[in-house]
Amino acid sequence: MQSGGDFVDLLRQTGYRFPGENLGDVQSERDLPFEPTDATTILAFQYADGVLVAGDRRATAGNMVLYDRADKVIDLDAYSVMAISGSPSIAFEIARILEHAFQYYRRRLLQEMSLQAKLRRLSLLIKDNLPMAMQGIGAVIPIFATYDQADARGKIYFYDALGAQFESADFTTTGSGSPAIRGAMYYLNRWSGRRFVEMDRDAAIGHALQLLDTASEYDSATGRYERSADIFPSVKTITASGLAEIETEELRGLYVQYVDGEEAGRA
Amino acid sequence: MMLSDEPYRWAEAVANRRDYIEDQIRTGSPVVGVGYEDGILLLTLSQSQQKVFEVYDRILLAAIGHSTDIEKLRQAAIDMAHSIGFNYSEDDVTLRQIVYFGLGPAMKAGFDDVVRSPFLARVLLAELDGQEGAQIFYTVDYDGAFYRHEGCVAVGGVVEADVMMVRELSGLDTRALSLSDAAGAALRAWAIGRWIGKMEEVPADADELEQVAGEVDVADVLATELVDLEVEAVVLGRSQLGKNKYRNVDAEEIAPALAQFIERSQ
Repeated sequence: MQSGGDFVDLLRQTGYRFPGENLGDVQSERDLPFEPTDATTILAFQYADGVLVAGDRRATAGNMVLYDRADKVIDLDAYSVMAISGSPSIAFEIARILEHAFQYYRRRLLQEMSLQAKLRRLSLLIKDNLPMAMQGIGAVIPIFATYDQADARGKIYFYDALGAQFESADFTTTGSGSPAIRGAMYYLNRWSGRRFVEMDRDAAIGHALQLLDTASEYDSATGRYERSADIFPSVKTITASGLAEIETEELRGLYVQYVDGEEAGRA
Repeated sequence: MMLSDEPYRWAEAVANRRDYIEDQIRTGSPVVGVGYEDGILLLTLSQSQQKVFEVYDRILLAAIGHSTDIEKLRQAAIDMAHSIGFNYSEDDVTLRQIVYFGLGPAMKAGFDDVVRSPFLARVLLAELDGQEGAQIFYTVDYDGAFYRHEGCVAVGGVVEADVMMVRELSGLDTRALSLSDAAGAALRAWAIGRWIGKMEEVPADADELEQVAGEVDVADVLATELVDLEVEAVVLGRSQLGKNKYRNVDAEEIAPALAQFIERSQ
């Protein structure tokens, strides 16, 4: 007996095909008549109230800046986000499928999808995307962050391009700017005298802004605060009371304090 | 088919089918929909079994009838909403589509196919802030006939109950009502619908029916029914954060409305 709560099954019944299934003759990135688009630095860490997830806003194609307002931290439900690095086209499709899959499951089966099942769904979608990833054009390397009501704490998971899933104890970062800040995150967490998990909300947001600024210093594909257009990175928090996006005004205040001003230079 | 060879027998079969379905449905617990300041409230009394369901971000479904038939219709509505929502956008999911192209034709086909079991169900759907308006309802009858309502709606075991329940609700300013007042009005309408649905012989004469409805002892009906049943109330509330506007209403929020009718000993 089929329970019928699987949204991917429903999609297939209505004729949907995954991007990798439509590849045709493309054998490698060299065969593409265009430069594929990439999204860059995302990071997540545990702070005092839950989890913080942040990403810069730049999307690039080769050495071209394609877009400076990309939102790479995508809401999946009231307690979960997926932050994306890699191909935005596939990543947005995966996020869209997941968002519908979680809701569909709850509405059809009259129960919330478990955290383990949500992780598994994301992992399967990344695996379904393997043909694209293998050809170097559509790899997606997301971070999944959520608040686990049962455990009463935030949780962060990261994936590799093949869909393997790992839970991160303190922090994680992926994307082209991540090598530039992975060590900085370790240093901050281990040696600065205040671990991420001890930071309050303001300090957590301030440090996320500092880290993204650092990534943009060393990675040309990572955008920094755009003064001319007033574009800040995306920063979201997930706590027991749910998902919240940090508004521009608040980011501006903390940016001045942590990146430009008084807290700057102090870890 | 033998039945369609003989028009008279076909008509007779259809009439028998109506009698059969109406007989199966008539004792069901009514469902009442009424707008309030923050959105839409659906209220019923049920035997600890869920009767009001989420279809999509701003769409609810409730029904009376056979639970497995309701389940099939509920799932069909959810499938349709989610495939439109994914392939087009959330804004393209409208109650009108679900009724006109989904539930209406499905129930009509079920009713017409006289050699198979029809859907033993009357369905009520609600949509908050859609293309057609802020507080829109549709009802779909067991034969696939559907009707659109604005502001308030009710579905009971018999059509006469629907009419009297809606009459009870029709004077309300559904855009200004508090949740508690909306719940009070819904409970009153429910009791009237329940009373009429349980009558041995529902008066055919409109005046007589109105008189019966006007004389229903709401407090008594509710007190009697609450021995076995529980109030189930769900809202689509605009002030809910996020896209999904569905929310179960707690018993405490309904308590003041119930207290108008029943002095609670506990």
